[in-house]
Amino acid sequence: MSTFMPGRKQVEGSHAVAEAIALSRPQVISCYPITPQTHIVEGLSAMVKSGALSPCEFMNVESEFAALSALIGASAAGARTYTATSSQGLLFMAEAVYNASGLGLPIVMTIGNRAIGAPINIWNDHSDSMALRDSGWIQLHAESNQEALDLHIQAFKLAEQLSCPVMVCMDGFILTHAYEEVDMPSQEQVDAFLPPFVPQQVLDPSDPITIGAMVGPDAYMEVRYLLHHKHLQAVEVIENLRKEFKRHFGRDSGGLVSSYRADDAETLVLAMGSINGTIREAVDEMRDEGHRIGSVKLCSYRPFPLEALREALKGAKRVIILEKNLATGLGGILASNTRMALRGLNTPVNTIIAGLGGRPIPKKSVVRAFRQIETGEVEEPHFLDMNWPAIHEAINNRGLVKRRESEAQRVLRSVSGVEVAKPVR
Amino acid sequence: MSTNTQLPFAISLELDSSLANKTGSWRTKRPVYVDRIPPCNRACPAGENIQAWLYLAEEARYEEAWQALVEDNPFPAIHGRVCYHPCESGCNRTKLDEPVSIHAVERFLGDQAIKHGWLPKMKPATGKRVIVIGSGPTGLSCAYHCARLGHHVTIYDAGEKPGGMMRYGIPKYRLPREVLDAELDLLVRMGIRFVQSARIDDLAKLMETDRADAVFLACGAGLSKKIDIPNWHARHVIDAVKMLRDIESDSPPMLGRRVAVYGGGNTALDAARSALRLGAEEVVLVYRRDRKRMPAHSSEVIDAEEEGVKMKWLSTIADLQADPGRDTIRIEKMKLNAKGQPEPTGEYEELGADTVILAIGQEAETGFLRNMPGLQFDKDGSLLVDQQMMSGVAGVFAGGDMTPATRTVTNGVGNGKKAARCIDAFLAGGVYEKPYTLGSARGDDGVFDPKVKEIASFDRLNPWYYTDAPKHIQERLAGLRRLDGFAEIVSGLDETDAMHESRRCLSCGNCFECDNCYGVCPDNAVIKLGPGNRFEFNYEYCKGCGLCSVECPCGAIKMVEEKI
Repeated sequence: MSTFMPGRKQVEGSHAVAEAIALSRPQVISCYPITPQTHIVEGLSAMVKSGALSPCEFMNVESEFAALSALIGASAAGARTYTATSSQGLLFMAEAVYNASGLGLPIVMTIGNRAIGAPINIWNDHSDSMALRDSGWIQLHAESNQEALDLHIQAFKLAEQLSCPVMVCMDGFILTHAYEEVDMPSQEQVDAFLPPFVPQQVLDPSDPITIGAMVGPDAYMEVRYLLHHKHLQAVEVIENLRKEFKRHFGRDSGGLVSSYRADDAETLVLAMGSINGTIREAVDEMRDEGHRIGSVKLCSYRPFPLEALREALKGAKRVIILEKNLATGLGGILASNTRMALRGLNTPVNTIIAGLGGRPIPKKSVVRAFRQIETGEVEEPHFLDMNWPAIHEAINNRGLVKRRESEAQRVLRSVSGVEVAKPVR
Repeated sequence: MSTNTQLPFAISLELDSSLANKTGSWRTKRPVYVDRIPPCNRACPAGENIQAWLYLAEEARYEEAWQALVEDNPFPAIHGRVCYHPCESGCNRTKLDEPVSIHAVERFLGDQAIKHGWLPKMKPATGKRVIVIGSGPTGLSCAYHCARLGHHVTIYDAGEKPGGMMRYGIPKYRLPREVLDAELDLLVRMGIRFVQSARIDDLAKLMETDRADAVFLACGAGLSKKIDIPNWHARHVIDAVKMLRDIESDSPPMLGRRVAVYGGGNTALDAARSALRLGAEEVVLVYRRDRKRMPAHSSEVIDAEEEGVKMKWLSTIADLQADPGRDTIRIEKMKLNAKGQPEPTGEYEELGADTVILAIGQEAETGFLRNMPGLQFDKDGSLLVDQQMMSGVAGVFAGGDMTPATRTVTNGVGNGKKAARCIDAFLAGGVYEKPYTLGSARGDDGVFDPKVKEIASFDRLNPWYYTDAPKHIQERLAGLRRLDGFAEIVSGLDETDAMHESRRCLSCGNCFECDNCYGVCPDNAVIKLGPGNRFEFNYEYCKGCGLCSVECPCGAIKMVEEKI
């Protein structure tokens, strides 16, 4: 294996992650391209082709379903495996996603977080990984390219220790396509941290076993519980890996939760992923104005660290959840989960739904929303920077069935005044 | 369940089987291996199983390939040279690149058999005696097949040597005589008795003296049609059939400098091309219709033009003396009417010619049979036979050019084979039935009857699986270099090229054990029976998904409706 270039460098997030994957010595990579994760596997395929990543089998497949199915086979045969996907790609592989966790195969997958159609939208929010939040995979969210890089190295170790697959979620475009300075570890550092894969179960023609055959009502429930149990164990393992990683690499990355200016905070803002940077700047600005506000970043969404999160939030008078998803008919998914962590505390929890389909989340809007929540002026959940006139027009028009125009087109027209896609007459 | 506590609970299990789950009961359609008729086989007038012998040839099993070939046709070395290979016109490979050069492989196999002296497999003697009259391709083929079936055969023929039109009609440059003699020798080695220079006057008496159980008449159509042209004696007029026959004798025909050949069939082309080889300086072919409507095979026309034969289309000979002072004949220009028939125009021109060769068609010489009661004849003198190729007299069969037929060597051989099978059935007291009938070429009706065979048309194939492979060309003598004599024009392929050509065969409609069905079956319901034995379906588990049928490159798997 030829050496990569360790040290500090300015690279695209996807390429930083690709290099970290390569340093983790995967043996089988199988993928199907979909924006915005494509640059990661493109980078890896180039490394496999050039021989920089070797030995490694890079499989081109015809779909995401095939990509993960192939890895299920490879992982069961004892290989360290990796893939990446986004959005409908993840939905298309959904059945295999459940199979991988059910079989306890330690596959690592990057999710370049992206909205789900319809209407088709390639930009960032968390709808895709949220859709498979209960698939049995561990889900870690990266805040920065550095953390994305670090989490992938941790993910292989975490997955293999628990024999449980791990998704590393990174915000599409905001991270995948952003050029940032990162600190790339050396191969020796990674090798010292991440030992070779020793599978818990392996397909071996000379000692055949059956993996994943039909199991009846007598055992299925126990199997599901055992997967749940792995997640309960993961809560501890994730924190241990954070410490171990820091010892090896000198950086704090990953873990369950991280707090910022939280010690005396009356208001705490909880969020996942890249938006935490904006939130910290908003916190600083409001602190300067005298607000007692801080923030908490959640890295591990699954397992959901009920205790650690309760501990991080319990001193606050109110908690604000800023999240990039919408459970239609309910509100915020993260807020809902957080309320479970805070049960019995009577802490008010406010939800801000923001950034769906890649809508920018400017600091100005965030600060305004925090202030409004502090003064109790907002509805629950609050939709950040929503174009309410367009919504009201659309709702009012719903009764007028004469117009053959989709709601999305109608909203678009009322927002921009431009007919982008002509309605069918 | 596993007792190994290291393994995940209820996920990793002990080795077990899903064989108790007989998924075959889910099936609404079943796949069936079929042997469809490849278009080459269908087009072959001799009824050769071309795909079968190409399959053996591509594995270098040449003797087996030859044995498969001579099941139908005893003369591959001859046919590889003279047959106009309609098989190749039918070949599905034409739709991918070029047809398989079937005739070249056939020739290769025939030449191998001559080299090694292979003999066909024969049935035990039946004690029945068959007489064949005529040793042209039809008679020889019938004799050969009768002998294979165990009957004692004697051939009577009027010619000095056997072969009929193969010797006395087809020029040497297309069929070298040593090749003809070598394949005829096969029949002698099989125990067939040849009586040459024998003209039969009294068939009934011959059958009695020979104690024949059946007779097959295949006397051909060696009689040139008559025509009357003014000033007949003004020019040297030669009959094409006689001319070609004389070339074989010690006294080759004398021709002038400028030769006109009258006619547009293969015989006219043979005569014209032979005339050039005999030393004629100029040979012009005069034909009443146009090139498209010539009965001659287009390859013959191209060869003739390459050699320098000139063509005068839409022309007829009106007078053999255009001007008493000069060696010219009078040509009348013709035009085609709406039906494509030639009509005179009243326009004339002169054509320089001292010799005129007439090649305007032949008919059967059946006069010697007129004294046999019960035989019936058509207006043109050809003998009428029934579906079993039997004439009005029991035990007297007839075929080939003397009955209404397409007059090529290959048609003759096919006709002789059919006659032998009819005679064999007659001798056993029955009638001959074809082993199968042809079903519809398109559309899966879902019915399966092994006695109804479908054509393996191109739309039944999955050509994605075949690689491109352009054909290997046989070398040919250049046009002018051919005229030094009667040397063979087309060379044979060597073993490498012959094998390449065999491997170009798509095996249309017939399994060639590519393992695709075995590979794609999601139920492991395709059982491999070992090399040469193909596969069978395990219907206990086959769900009838049809993947095997779709992914079969050669269309050898048919989906048949289950009765539910």
